[in-house]
Amino acid sequence: MKRNYFYIILCIGALFAGCEYDNFDEPKSTLSGNVVYNEKPVGVRTNGPQLELWQDGYALRYAIPVYIAHDGSYSVSLFDGQYKMVRKAGGPWEPQLNDTITINVKNNTVYDVPVKPYFTISNESFQHTAGTITANFTVNKIAEDANLAQVRLFIGHSVLTDQNKNEQAMNADLSGITPGEQSSLSINLSESLKSLDEVFVRVGVRANVTNEFYYTQVQKISLN
Amino acid sequence: MNSKYTFYLSILLIVAGLFAGCNEDDWLQRTPKDRITDEQLWNDPNMILGLLANYYDRLPQLAGVFNTGTNAEFDDAMWSGHVDQNWRNDINYGDDYARYWDYTFIRDINLSLENMEKYSVKLTDVQKNQFNAELRFIRAYVYFELVKRMGGVPLITTQLIYDGSGDPSSLQVPRAKESEVYDFIYDEIQAIKNNFTVTEGSRTRANKYVALALQSRAMLYAGSIAKYNNLMSAPISTPGAEVGIPASRAADYYQKSLSASKEIIASPEYELYNPGGSSKGENFYKLFMDKNAKEVIFAKDFMTGKVHGFTYDNVVRSFRSDIEGSSMLTPSLSLVESYEYLDGSEGTLKDKDAAGNYIIYNNMADIFANKDARLYGTVVYPGSQFRNMPVNMQAGVAIWEDGEYKFRIGNLGTTYEDGKVLTGFDGPKDDDQYVSNTGFYLRKFVSENPQDGVRPSLASNWWTWFRLGEIYLNAGEAAFELNDPSALGFINKVREVHGGFPANSLTALTIEIIQNERRVELAFEDHRFFDLKRWRIADKVWNGQDSDSNAVVHGLYPYRISRPGHSDDGKYIFERVRPTRFKRARFFRMANYYSSIDPAVLNNNPKLVKNPFH
Repeated sequence: MKRNYFYIILCIGALFAGCEYDNFDEPKSTLSGNVVYNEKPVGVRTNGPQLELWQDGYALRYAIPVYIAHDGSYSVSLFDGQYKMVRKAGGPWEPQLNDTITINVKNNTVYDVPVKPYFTISNESFQHTAGTITANFTVNKIAEDANLAQVRLFIGHSVLTDQNKNEQAMNADLSGITPGEQSSLSINLSESLKSLDEVFVRVGVRANVTNEFYYTQVQKISLN
Repeated sequence: MNSKYTFYLSILLIVAGLFAGCNEDDWLQRTPKDRITDEQLWNDPNMILGLLANYYDRLPQLAGVFNTGTNAEFDDAMWSGHVDQNWRNDINYGDDYARYWDYTFIRDINLSLENMEKYSVKLTDVQKNQFNAELRFIRAYVYFELVKRMGGVPLITTQLIYDGSGDPSSLQVPRAKESEVYDFIYDEIQAIKNNFTVTEGSRTRANKYVALALQSRAMLYAGSIAKYNNLMSAPISTPGAEVGIPASRAADYYQKSLSASKEIIASPEYELYNPGGSSKGENFYKLFMDKNAKEVIFAKDFMTGKVHGFTYDNVVRSFRSDIEGSSMLTPSLSLVESYEYLDGSEGTLKDKDAAGNYIIYNNMADIFANKDARLYGTVVYPGSQFRNMPVNMQAGVAIWEDGEYKFRIGNLGTTYEDGKVLTGFDGPKDDDQYVSNTGFYLRKFVSENPQDGVRPSLASNWWTWFRLGEIYLNAGEAAFELNDPSALGFINKVREVHGGFPANSLTALTIEIIQNERRVELAFEDHRFFDLKRWRIADKVWNGQDSDSNAVVHGLYPYRISRPGHSDDGKYIFERVRPTRFKRARFFRMANYYSSIDPAVLNNNPKLVKNPFH
């Protein structure tokens, strides 16, 4: 009888031993950083634009999608090795499909991905007076062959505020906007937003060749 | 001794007998009973018909052929079925959304065309031409599905055979231009349209008018891509024109569409469904259920043994005859409001007056009164009937408190303290499954026969691929784009016969009117997604904004007023709602105009160019 138990334990033990050979280690290294222009992070729609990572040396090639947070930061878990980063089309920046960035990933690698936005917004400031938020900013034209499609002020009640997720938004009159010169845009807060202690604001600019905005970093405005 | 001798002798005889049997050639060269040879197949019209049935069955769709789920991913409806599919209300159109790349099917058809030429000796020329034309129609249809989802694709019309040399490059065919695929479809139809001598009058096999219907639709798509893509501030194109058609080709394509449409309309074989003795709304519903309807040009038939679950999926909750199911696809308020009033005014429902006060209705159905009859034929709304019984819809009770109406709701089929209905057996109920979350149910394609909603026997009403109503709208749109004054007549005819509008209800056309007319006439018939794409407005209609009434599916809930002593007691008010289960505004990105090609396909064929934004 005792012998039987011994055998059963031996068999179960053997099962566990086998498991080790079946499993791969999970990727332990990370690649992280920001999407930057002129060394400043580029604000985007959360989970909107993407980058792609590719790895050579295998027969079949599949892209690894890289998601970008609203503030322009990204982070991917990878195995150590050499990767190629592609700035694909669809974002608020020029696609650079042939100008591949090679990145060597080892442990925790930090890499800031330079992009060339169609338009940027600089010198942004926001004031709140009596239920009205005024944004002052300068739209800059960066890419030669893109035209201005939309300049928009977004108000939200969370840090994830963008074209898709906002509580209130307003388009600027494009005829009043000259790249390189200061513009301003005011919005009267809706009743539901007025009752909050604080709101989150950002300004976005969109070129006609894309449906993604370039956003300023989200700012928290206290309403009290 | 003697018996032993006999024994050996008999064994010897038996063994010799076995050998004698083997001598027959027949034994070794029998016809196999478990497989059909090419010679047999291509010399037997019945077997070829069986093969064709398989191919017809494989005709592709995105949100057609009673595809309940995909229809819940646009703006005409939301998903109110089991919560495990609530991702449809939270859908993020991926780069691969609507991807289609079925070269297995293309190869099957090419192989059939070649084998029929090679093996067929017994078929008559008439039979051969007929089968050849049907196969090529199916292939043209598949290429149309490919080009409208992927743009220009490799045009493969023969078997690709590997030569064993170790170099596969002869099998790697680059993409054709988008216009070349549309031109191929047109040329194929011209080559085959007069060869359908056996299937004249058929509704379920291709014939001349089915081929012309494909021409009418495909050429309209090509024309509108040529026109509207180039009107975008940044047209979507590739340098090799795999995507994008020059604007100069638009008129040519529209003309080709219009001439096909006119030929179908002129045929006495087809007429808009309009039997007397029943209401226009009833007629519009029956058009899809009556297999003798002369409006139908091409259908996929169903019958006992080959059934579909659309009635099980979508029947009004309290009319369900199975223990589960019902209510999965529930139409949106924006669809209901796109049906105009019969006096020609905009279809926005009058739930509140200009001052923001509720408008009080004596009966629930009154708010939907005097609307386009196609609303009744498409949607079951509060106060209407289904299977000749009133539906039991009421979201709750409105009570007058502190100078305003407050809502009380209960479970399905509950009674309020005044002894009357609190919440109806058919809801609507927010954040619940198998009951409408929008306040509307689907009527189009849902069977009146309770047995059709029971598993596993289910329903056998057919699916219409092409019908005359669409052809009229195609003709109207193509004529409009060509500045042909006949455009108005085509659109008005459909509005009059199907919608119940007076004759010549429109006096002028705009593309927006045509767009709306297609939305209401062709709802849930696998048009909306592709129509919005070819007009290049999908990114504007499904703009991803939470505040947008089209990108977000809304509902309309009816409440009974409980205000004893007041003149409004027992009457009804309506409240616009954003259903809790609807999570994310529909967001169509530029990248969705053409789906991405599978990386495995790109790996196999380096000559393929990627679609824009991918």
